[in-house]
Amino acid sequence: MPFRWRPVVVAGVLLVLLLVAVVVSLSLGTPYVAPVDVLRSLSGAGTPYDLVVRDLRLPRAVLAAVAGAAFGVAGTLIQSVARNPLASPDVIGVTQGAGLAATVALTSGAAAVLVAPAALLGGLAAAVLVFALGARHGLAAQRFVLAGVAVAFALRALIEVVMLTADPIDGLRAQLWLIGTLAGKGWTEAAWIAGTLVALLPVLLWAGWALRGSVLDDDTARGIGLRPVARRIGLAGTGVLAAAAVTAQVGAVDFVALVAPQVARRLVRAERPPLLCAALLGALLLVLADLAGRRLFAPTQLPAGVLTAAIGGPYLIFVLLRTRGRRS
Amino acid sequence: MTALLSTRDLVVGYEDRTVLDGLTLDLPADAFTVIVGPNACGKSTLLRTMARLLTPRRGAVLLDGAAIRDLPTRDVARRLGVLPQSPLVPEGITVADLVGRGRQPYQRWWRQWSTDDGRAVDEAMRLADVTGLADRAVDTLSGGQRQRVWIAMTLAQDTDALLLDEPTTFLDLAHQVEVLDLLHRLRVERGRTVVAVLHDLNQAARYADHLVAMRDGAMVAAGPPRDILTADLVRAVFGLDCVVVPCPVTGAPLVVPALSQTPATPAAPVPRKGT
Repeated sequence: MPFRWRPVVVAGVLLVLLLVAVVVSLSLGTPYVAPVDVLRSLSGAGTPYDLVVRDLRLPRAVLAAVAGAAFGVAGTLIQSVARNPLASPDVIGVTQGAGLAATVALTSGAAAVLVAPAALLGGLAAAVLVFALGARHGLAAQRFVLAGVAVAFALRALIEVVMLTADPIDGLRAQLWLIGTLAGKGWTEAAWIAGTLVALLPVLLWAGWALRGSVLDDDTARGIGLRPVARRIGLAGTGVLAAAAVTAQVGAVDFVALVAPQVARRLVRAERPPLLCAALLGALLLVLADLAGRRLFAPTQLPAGVLTAAIGGPYLIFVLLRTRGRRS
Repeated sequence: MTALLSTRDLVVGYEDRTVLDGLTLDLPADAFTVIVGPNACGKSTLLRTMARLLTPRRGAVLLDGAAIRDLPTRDVARRLGVLPQSPLVPEGITVADLVGRGRQPYQRWWRQWSTDDGRAVDEAMRLADVTGLADRAVDTLSGGQRQRVWIAMTLAQDTDALLLDEPTTFLDLAHQVEVLDLLHRLRVERGRTVVAVLHDLNQAARYADHLVAMRDGAMVAAGPPRDILTADLVRAVFGLDCVVVPCPVTGAPLVVPALSQTPATPAAPVPRKGT
């Protein structure tokens, strides 16, 4: 279709909001650092706050932004293949696969550095299983979702078994991992996620375009020269890689993946979720959720996974109600 | 006659059921071809196979003499437009946007929209008379408007030939005529080859240049309606007794079902014996 300004404007506004949120996130806390000092510290001017801003808060804020973006991308791609606004990495088993592998690693006394790689492999393995089960009819939406739900439930049960038979302390650590948190994480995790996104960049550029065709049924898509099955596998595969990469690092904060695409879609008024805006919105949402988790009940920290659901849920409901009201 | 689309010894089936068994036919270029036949005779299967939506078990579909399955799907999409029977309307998509999807075979992800695309979309919307609806959401339109939008999308594809699977189903009579008039204009004014599956024999006779009658996966007759549409053909294809008269408006054959031998109303009680 001809060039539309709206997605560009929305992306610009989201980017500005994201930067503001990051600065606020670096500013709030104990000690409080004035935004001016945050900016001065970031610019390398050398302030007394360098340790707090640059070494303690910045890595976590960047991780939140990068992880949120990855969840936004994963959610957009998975929802488009599943043809379902409620799909997210946990509907197709990626979250549970990563969770099971992480739980096993955490409760078996494996080295801490092995948890994330194990979770990555677990998430990918679950996705391969779902693809194999869903492939018979060209990864058609309904079959894909059913295969995903089935695998997710089975893996969830296995997670419970591992947790119940584990040492209670290990079980608690696994529980926290499953909820998803950014506490104690920073540059390393952010680098892994960002690296995956950068590696996927050429595919993502293609995907942003290919998503247009995904709203058409297969016959219509073939009629205009598309290959819907190959396209679905490409889009779903990319989504799974993004989802597994981010879940392995920060755990199941995947409510972002559910909510960001749908809200972004309504902001740009398109017939499908827009990839870039969903990524920016995901980043914004997770930065805010992590900030709220840190500050709301300080000094007690709530995991970001809890907060994303608490903020995103009501907002999604609000957006749904508003959309319905306008149409009728 | 030059054939734009042909089938050679086509065998098509689903799972364990064979629908078309060795079908060979030629569809003339620059003509409006209508395929008719009773339910489950394989007419939609034939159309969908020609549109490469189904893969034949054996045999080939030829587009201008070349086997369609050997051609890149994007190239086929520039020459052959397809309108499936009940396409899914994406939620919230606007008319202009949906019509624009017809330009897909001319686009790449690194070159997404050209002035040619804009021209083709404007032209397609004008032809299908949906220009006034350009900014409306397709899912808020009536059935007739919606069907014109879908046709506009295939027109934007700028193909020589257009295949339509029951394009008038679910439309009221006025909208059926509207769609058929549009297809007729495409043939006459634009020289497009149009192939459609229709249910209504009289509409087929009125609009078709070339009629293909099918039964049980085989072709029973093919040719201009005035030459082939007779009471015998209708009986052979549909198993229906009828009278064929010239249409008072167009002179095309008009099929009027005969009174059935067994009345539709319940028979009168049989007189009891022995009273």
